[in-house]
Amino acid sequence: MNESNKNNIFLQFISNLRATIYIFIKEFKWIFKDRGVLIIIIVAPLVYPLLYPYLYKNETAIDVPIAVVDNSNTTRSAELTRALDATMDLKVAEKLDNLEQAKTELYKGNIHGILYIPSDFNKRIVLKDQAFVSMYSDMSSFLYYRAMVLAVNYATLDMGEKIKIERLNDAGVSGYDAEVSAKPIENEGTILYNPGMGFSSFLLMAVLILMIHQTLVFGIGMAAGAEREDNPNNELIMSSTSRGGLFRVVLGRALSYFAVYLFWSAFILLIVPRIFNLPHIGDFQTMLYFVVPFLLATIFFSMTLSVFNMQRETQMILLVFFSLILLFLSGISWPQYNMSGFWRVFSYLFPSTFGIQGFIKTNTMGASASEIKFETVGLWMQTLIYFITTSILYYREIKKNEKITTIP
Amino acid sequence: MSNKNLYIFLKQTLKREFSRMVSLPIYLVGTFGVMLFCFIFFVTLLENGMPDKMPVGIVDLDQSWVSRALVRNLDATQQAKVVMHLGSYTEARREMQKGNIYAFLVIRKNFESDAVAGRKPTITFYVNDGYLVAGSLLMKDITYLSELGSGALKQAILRKKGVAEDRIMAEVQPIYVDAHMLGNPWTNYGIYLSNILLPGVMQLMIIMMTVFVIGVELKEKTSHEWLKTANNNMFVALTGKLLPYTLIFGLLGLFSNVLLYRHLHFPMNSSIGWMFLATILFVVAYQAIGIFIIGIIPVLRDGVALAAFYGLLGFTFAGFTFPIEQMVNNIQIFSFLFPIRYYFKIYANQALMGAPIQYSIVYFIAMIVFLALPFFVFMRLKSGAIKQNYPIK
Repeated sequence: MNESNKNNIFLQFISNLRATIYIFIKEFKWIFKDRGVLIIIIVAPLVYPLLYPYLYKNETAIDVPIAVVDNSNTTRSAELTRALDATMDLKVAEKLDNLEQAKTELYKGNIHGILYIPSDFNKRIVLKDQAFVSMYSDMSSFLYYRAMVLAVNYATLDMGEKIKIERLNDAGVSGYDAEVSAKPIENEGTILYNPGMGFSSFLLMAVLILMIHQTLVFGIGMAAGAEREDNPNNELIMSSTSRGGLFRVVLGRALSYFAVYLFWSAFILLIVPRIFNLPHIGDFQTMLYFVVPFLLATIFFSMTLSVFNMQRETQMILLVFFSLILLFLSGISWPQYNMSGFWRVFSYLFPSTFGIQGFIKTNTMGASASEIKFETVGLWMQTLIYFITTSILYYREIKKNEKITTIP
Repeated sequence: MSNKNLYIFLKQTLKREFSRMVSLPIYLVGTFGVMLFCFIFFVTLLENGMPDKMPVGIVDLDQSWVSRALVRNLDATQQAKVVMHLGSYTEARREMQKGNIYAFLVIRKNFESDAVAGRKPTITFYVNDGYLVAGSLLMKDITYLSELGSGALKQAILRKKGVAEDRIMAEVQPIYVDAHMLGNPWTNYGIYLSNILLPGVMQLMIIMMTVFVIGVELKEKTSHEWLKTANNNMFVALTGKLLPYTLIFGLLGLFSNVLLYRHLHFPMNSSIGWMFLATILFVVAYQAIGIFIIGIIPVLRDGVALAAFYGLLGFTFAGFTFPIEQMVNNIQIFSFLFPIRYYFKIYANQALMGAPIQYSIVYFIAMIVFLALPFFVFMRLKSGAIKQNYPIK
């Protein structure tokens, strides 16, 4: 009795497993059968991760052209101009006589910044007054502004040191004593995790995660919409597929996307950063720790959302713009703590928020598992919640079908 | 056919489109819904205009009056807030990896005695540029502060000697940089972002919706009826179909201009009228591109995928993330294919810099050129609408 009962459970398990595998294979074939789904799930994850790093291949703005208006016309001002030209950030493209001319060049887009050296520049230095220079910066891009600020600060501070030492020399203090007196404290800055201050090393890390997240949302959404369009009564799950079972459908479908995206994750998160020489100091095992819940959370999140997609294209038309919103919600561009409370809570609805933070922390900053605990726990919680919502919604769909099939 | 008849058919087509617009939520959500959400999102996302008071850590191994003064000064800068004192470099790095701090300062042992004895001690700071905006802003403050570390010490000495205050500044910092940020959009990063991201979202929605409203007629095989309403005149059919969206997106665009430049007082150093004109041209240029896309691929599903691809690239080629001039050479050419590029140029020239209008005219003309696009697919779209010979699945 006991023996046969055990056997029964075992047989039941095998039968359920077979049903799950059947649905897994069916959904897998589906991906390759529907051209729309194929484009999103297979073509896009291949093309986007190769295209975007290429677009942002030049990591940072170098030799940004600027104009110098030197009304001082002294050796000292010429020296400052040369120092600016020598920086990696700036290139003195034009030397002009007045500010009006320089502004015209700025309007034409030929230059992106102006340094104005007034006529009393050298005189003030000789008289030991504070000298002024004026800097005008094109604010249309953060990178122009940064190049200008860093280079001008560097060049003027450097020249300031020299002036101090000269003055001390004149006062009879020389050599090391003068150096110490001019600058009693040395400082040393170290840029961590993105030493080149590169733009793509920063932005693309978030974009790569978004590519996985968004292609899953749209792919699963389109597959669901296609199913509804093609099935006779707009069912999401044909009764011939579910045959009374719920979890076999939920798990079978989820597994097929999981398999495909495990492959894509390896390509996008491991290989692409290495091809384009983006930051990649993450530990493989740690990354796996968070990639698994990230994929599961995203898949169940997409499945929940897909139930409401009645046509192939609807979700994509209405939600493509959301990629941008997700980017900002992740806190990569704008520090998360500085976000208003409502949006911070709102951001925790989406797996991409934890995914982006987790990926940057492991891949770019080399964090270990304990340092990304917050993200992984968040992702597992989302996995659980969206698994439940998917199951409830799928259950309702299956029940609806039964009604359709029983009423002749 | 007389002009009067044309007008009647146009009115019929418009009427048909209006009734379609209220038949399904996608029409209103894809226009008003998305744009209103974005208005609210970008205006309310950021509690403060600038990311100020970013959390930083301190590893103070000296615990002297000099080191404490330095910490106090750091706390007083606009961008930094000392949130934790840590025992070692390793501990600080772990906090950084957890994302709790964006930078930290290490003050070594014997810092004070070395400074006084003239042994030039070093302050070391570490900035996390994995988060570029936060990192760059902090970098600016901390570099400045460390320079002033020397300055503060000298200042104290000179004050004791009774040197006048303006002389002291000339001693401490011989050259002062007076920074003019043209248009200064950085006083509020949120508004700065909305100014370029709202047009970005708008172009995406315009192409998507244009592709959709035409493509769905082909997909659902209602295109016969559509053309019939317009008396088989493709020009009337397209005008009647798209005019409502020109109005909607045009109004939303003007609304966003008024919201940003008037209500939120974003810098506008020229006449807002030029931005209005740019916005209207922007809308029709993108509608023309939408027609072109669904014209070359008259299959809704594929058209939508192409529209999304092109629309998302618009964010890159507008040039506000990474300057176009700094991109790899052969990519730069592609920026010509995106009206948002010209819109952004006009915005930078007019709103930010207040340049005379003659420097922007070429960009207005460039947007008008896009209006020629629909004529290339005119016949193809018409025959597609009549024959309905494209796959719908």
